[in-house]
Amino acid sequence: MSGRARTRARGMLRGSRALEVRGSPGYLAATSVDLGNSEVSLSSRTDSVWQPSDEHDAASGDGEHTLMERRVRIRQDLMDLGICTRERLAHVKDCKTGSSGLPVKLVTNLFSLDLPQDWQLYQYHVVYSPDLPSKRLRTALLYGHSELSDRTKAFDGAILFLSQKLDQKVTELTSETQRGETVRMTVTLTNKLVSSSPVCIQFFNIIFKKILKKLSMYQIGRNFYKPSEPVEIPQYKLSVWPGFAVSVSHFESKLLFGADVSYKVLRNETVLEFMTDLCVRTDTSCFPQTCETQLVGLIVLTRYNNKTYRIDDIDWSVKPTHTFQKRDGSEITYTDYYKQQYDITLSDLNQPVLVSLLKRKRNASMEPQAVHLIPELCFLTGLTSQATSDFHLMKAVAEETRLSPLGRQQRLARLADDIQRNQVARFELETWGLHFGSQMSLTGRVVPSEKLIMQDHICQPASAADWSKDIRACKVLSSQSLTTWLILCSSRAENRIEGFLSCLRRVGSTMGFNVGYPKIIKVQENPASFLRAIQQHVDPDVQLVMCILPSNQKNYYDSIKKYLNLDCPVPSQCVLTRTLNKQGMMMSVATKIAMQMTCKLGGELWTVEIPLKSLMVVGISICKDALSKDTLVVGFVASVNPRITRWFSRCILQRTTAEVADCLKVFLTGALNKWYKLNHDLPARIIVYRDGVGDGQLKAVVDYEVPQLLSSVAESSSDSSSCRLSVVVVRKRCTPRFFVETSKTVQNPPLGTVVDSEATRPAWYDFYLISQTTSQGTVSPTYYNVIYDDNVLKPDHMQRLTFKLCHLYYNWQGLISIPAPCQYAHKLTFLVAQSIHKEPSLELANHLFYL
Amino acid sequence: MELEEEIIQIADLGCGDTKLLKLLKIYPCIQLLVGVDINEEKLHSNGHHLSPYLGEFVKPRDLDLTIILYHGSVVERDSRLLGFDLITCIELIEHLDSDDLARFPEVVFGYLSPAMVVISTPNSEFNPLFPTVALRDADHKFEWSRMEFQTWASQVAKCYNYCVEFTGVGTPPAGAEHVGYCTQIGVFTKIGGKAAGSCVSEDHDQHVYKAVYMTSYPSLQQEKVLKFVLVGELLIQVEHLRLRHHRMLRERKRESDPKPRDTDFSLGPDLLLGAVFTEAEKARIENSPEPFCEGDKFCVPLQRLLAYPKLHRLRVDEERMRALIADSVCLSSDSSAVMVDLYNSLDYWPEDS
Repeated sequence: MSGRARTRARGMLRGSRALEVRGSPGYLAATSVDLGNSEVSLSSRTDSVWQPSDEHDAASGDGEHTLMERRVRIRQDLMDLGICTRERLAHVKDCKTGSSGLPVKLVTNLFSLDLPQDWQLYQYHVVYSPDLPSKRLRTALLYGHSELSDRTKAFDGAILFLSQKLDQKVTELTSETQRGETVRMTVTLTNKLVSSSPVCIQFFNIIFKKILKKLSMYQIGRNFYKPSEPVEIPQYKLSVWPGFAVSVSHFESKLLFGADVSYKVLRNETVLEFMTDLCVRTDTSCFPQTCETQLVGLIVLTRYNNKTYRIDDIDWSVKPTHTFQKRDGSEITYTDYYKQQYDITLSDLNQPVLVSLLKRKRNASMEPQAVHLIPELCFLTGLTSQATSDFHLMKAVAEETRLSPLGRQQRLARLADDIQRNQVARFELETWGLHFGSQMSLTGRVVPSEKLIMQDHICQPASAADWSKDIRACKVLSSQSLTTWLILCSSRAENRIEGFLSCLRRVGSTMGFNVGYPKIIKVQENPASFLRAIQQHVDPDVQLVMCILPSNQKNYYDSIKKYLNLDCPVPSQCVLTRTLNKQGMMMSVATKIAMQMTCKLGGELWTVEIPLKSLMVVGISICKDALSKDTLVVGFVASVNPRITRWFSRCILQRTTAEVADCLKVFLTGALNKWYKLNHDLPARIIVYRDGVGDGQLKAVVDYEVPQLLSSVAESSSDSSSCRLSVVVVRKRCTPRFFVETSKTVQNPPLGTVVDSEATRPAWYDFYLISQTTSQGTVSPTYYNVIYDDNVLKPDHMQRLTFKLCHLYYNWQGLISIPAPCQYAHKLTFLVAQSIHKEPSLELANHLFYL
Repeated sequence: MELEEEIIQIADLGCGDTKLLKLLKIYPCIQLLVGVDINEEKLHSNGHHLSPYLGEFVKPRDLDLTIILYHGSVVERDSRLLGFDLITCIELIEHLDSDDLARFPEVVFGYLSPAMVVISTPNSEFNPLFPTVALRDADHKFEWSRMEFQTWASQVAKCYNYCVEFTGVGTPPAGAEHVGYCTQIGVFTKIGGKAAGSCVSEDHDQHVYKAVYMTSYPSLQQEKVLKFVLVGELLIQVEHLRLRHHRMLRERKRESDPKPRDTDFSLGPDLLLGAVFTEAEKARIENSPEPFCEGDKFCVPLQRLLAYPKLHRLRVDEERMRALIADSVCLSSDSSAVMVDLYNSLDYWPEDS
């Protein structure tokens, strides 16, 4: 937290406003790391030698809007559904389904919610005369009136929903308070809502929220968890609560209830225990500061209510023995307050207090309200960034949370059963005319598999999930000889170098990658020595620097990458000593490293057949910078040859609050210039895959990013040649899951499965594609939404092209979950956001230096 | 109201929106809380407010707690409410018509016969201080003066062998002290204390109330929960000792380092964190076997762990502890100590450079 914000928070506490320790009703949006529906991917497919951490977008958990507003505020993801992009795309107006491939019957995690044909929800506005401030009294008077007492209703103090219409458009009711005052209530019909309207969808979601609470589940963030059935991971002091992410939404033709298994990670220690250990670990002088960097931003759960709070600051000047002002104006110490209110005795009277700033629900423009929390009474949820970068910890978590398709299907069946059997739940649904129906099945298609084109060989992999064996003896498409290069290593790793080098040269020669003998430089085991040695020995002739790192401490990697990507642009390859110690794995390790080095030097590994002859594909990815959260990193990667094997990249850091890219015009123009230089013409078609679009941001992408791309296309085109643009939004997180049901069990669908009906949205040109496998666990489909399309490709071609592009990521010898340009852009933004925090040197723009 | 140690079962008749139950559930000694109300919808809509807080799954209670809400009338007999320690009727009797009021003492005092009954009702003498002169609620059948209430209460007490004391809440404003409390309260205590099981067995299983909501709290009385807490506290303690050991090693290294250092390693007084031990606790810890190192393993004897207050309070002996933790932690070869790696992957910190 900045000094100013802190002052503000403290100033407010001293101010006249009473400090309210218990907070207001409703819950805080949890921006915790949620190891939610996506499998924790731990495969060694990324930078095979150094793994920063799994990507975990700080989930935009802004889901707290309720109907409690005078005007109904619509949840962000529901707002996206109002962006009707399909109606502008004439070629898919009537039909957006593909045709190729074999049909496959799929079970989904969607359940039908049936409504009577003429179902409507009636929305009324209620005005009280005289006006009553108390919501409880308003509700009591309205509900107590004979006109409404037998009706199915929901009321938030101003807006009333009825399942049956009142006789009059405006109904005047009078009731008497307990004190005998007469109150007039004017109930005015403001809206008749059909089941697909956003307000209705939100209304259904609230009904299910109620139902899940009745099933002993607790809401944290947007999902619901069962703390009574925890999974323990004792060695890391973690518990994992199983739960569900649920949503009601209007899919292609009907209302569906979707549920996916989700997990919440809890730490079995209080913030005080965490701080005490941290204090022992660190030097005293920097303890308060370390404490803040570790804790600020984490979500805590308190012992004495069901709320979660984000830690915004730690106030070391306030102790539990200090007093604060209660709402009634009286002063009380924190210790006395917790004793009186909750019968809790605080054991440590020297602990500081945590400060959390509560968002104002009703009025976002008001100053947030600060609450003080006692560390001893707060439990940490989620994982620190340090924990998420711990491979062993993440593996342990993944092992506990991974579910096979069958296991997942059983959980779903149990949830559906609980909802159907629970009397209260059933009553709640029936009273609104809803019927919780059966699990939905649909038909998908498995598109044909692809052949890999190598230098002198076309190969049909046995499995598209991993073709490393199939291409082992094949030559890569092109490569540059590596003649001048450096290896930096500590003396401990020295004895490994010879063996490793001979492997590297051996696999290099089979691949057609000529590896010369490097200059080996011995350095001491600390980041500064590595950096000094690089500064000393790297000259313009050096093609590549390889560093054998003693540990995966981030500062080794960061300082090396910073220097070699910014100050002195030379491709670099970091390898952990540990990796070289893996006996018996040396050949496969060397193969992976050789392939990475080939790419970093500008080589091409393989391709697939691309029927479109002049096509540029672009990937855009956006993420937040790790150091300053209000800085966005925008990565842009474009193919610059018809084979789609060479890539041009740009990356920029952008200070903004909205997660929308600003610089796309410049980037695309740069890519088109590059293409022109290499191919002496412009590409006929451009297809942009945009990743990292959060809930509620679709409109901004349509209104703001697409025009930037279009204006670049328009300016670059001449009379003789012009290019056509398509923009596809890619999402790895989506509600639907698909399974194949066999006679005995439930399995993941085969690679290349496309779903373009029923689980899709009527207003969008969208489809799901399964392009990744998992040996354990359940695959999640990737969701594609074509929001702009001048290319007018048939849906079938769009789907198959997308599938082809998932084959072209050179850091993994197999299919990946998203198109290669997106994954490249993601790798680039990740490197910049985590390690170098600046725009990489443009001299590297034509290399895959970020692999 | 002071809650005595032995009170463990409490029922609130006419619990309405369950506010009193919510206040009572925080007390560790209560093991059964029952609410009864005639309004089923209210019970339905308030039930889930009584379920355990999320935090109570992380740091559970010592004793079991079950909360049950029944739909039914207070003038009906239900054997599940027999033998309670306390029955409260807050602002209830004034809602009863004369027939029900006549039957009420027989059911509550005669049949249920708890060790203590607390009854509150409006004091009508206070009413003139309100702006409108009427009954305080449209559903009130009567509002009594202090005399009326005390007469009724004393009669009831006498009839069912209770003694009764009167008090109230809501002090009148200055100058109007003579009207008494806004709400008057009678506290009835059974003469001879809580009834023995005899009367309970006579008419067993008379279930007329309908259970609308029930919840059970996780507690250390449940083996699964005890194990979870024991392993959790144990690992926190072991980790703390391990880190202290690291620090000791670091400081030793620094002392032997000839280079003078200007960093000061003593903590400022306001940064000393963690519970402070009492003399007795200190003595108990010091008298237990010390942690030790075995190669790259760090070992803490179980006896030592059990000496720390947070584990000591779980009242588990060494044998039981060993059985409970066996499949969650690694033990030394003679099973007398918990064994962890002296260094682990989380020991690297950014500032270590």
